[in-house]
Amino acid sequence: MTSPIRNTIRELRAARSMTQQALADLIHVTRQTVIAIEGDKYSPSLEVAFRIAHVFDLPLEQIFQYEPPRSRRK
Amino acid sequence: MSRLAFQERMLWAQLVAILAVGVYYVHFLVHAGPGHHYFHAVILGVLLVFGSISFAARRRAGNVDERDRSIAAIGARWSNIILWVGLVLILVLYWDHGSIHSAHLVIGLIFHLLLLAGIARIVRELVAYRINA
Repeated sequence: MTSPIRNTIRELRAARSMTQQALADLIHVTRQTVIAIEGDKYSPSLEVAFRIAHVFDLPLEQIFQYEPPRSRRK
Repeated sequence: MSRLAFQERMLWAQLVAILAVGVYYVHFLVHAGPGHHYFHAVILGVLLVFGSISFAARRRAGNVDERDRSIAAIGARWSNIILWVGLVLILVLYWDHGSIHSAHLVIGLIFHLLLLAGIARIVRELVAYRINA
């Protein structure tokens, strides 16, 4: 099951040569949670999302994008 | 695939422990003679102590984050549903056939209910961890 919220955390982290554990420590979650967020398997809370934005010094909408699920009814 | 997190390892340990208690219990029932019904109370006590210790260890570990908490809530929801349904069934059963003789049966049912609810919680949490891995 994937989240409708996409993010660019993996790319941002790679650009800064930051490990998953380092990011996890900065935003006070476990490394497994960072893995789940990067894989779009888990949508973080607003507080964690803001912490991530603060770490990368970017606005929230540049890191997270909402992709509404396509409706099957037309 | 990510390695098993601390929480997942704890859940596997709990599942193994609860299944070991279940197997030992069945073995006891097969081999024990009549008049050993107090065994239920001992097992219930052991389970409660084990549950309290594992819960305390989980909290003390300090690496419980919002995802762990949300998965724990999913597991607790399943466990609560089973407990409530089972409790109502036991009450109905006891209401219909209530007697001192059937008290042992009620204790046995409560024990099985706790075992089932515990297994359901652990399995549901493990599935949630794998889905969100």
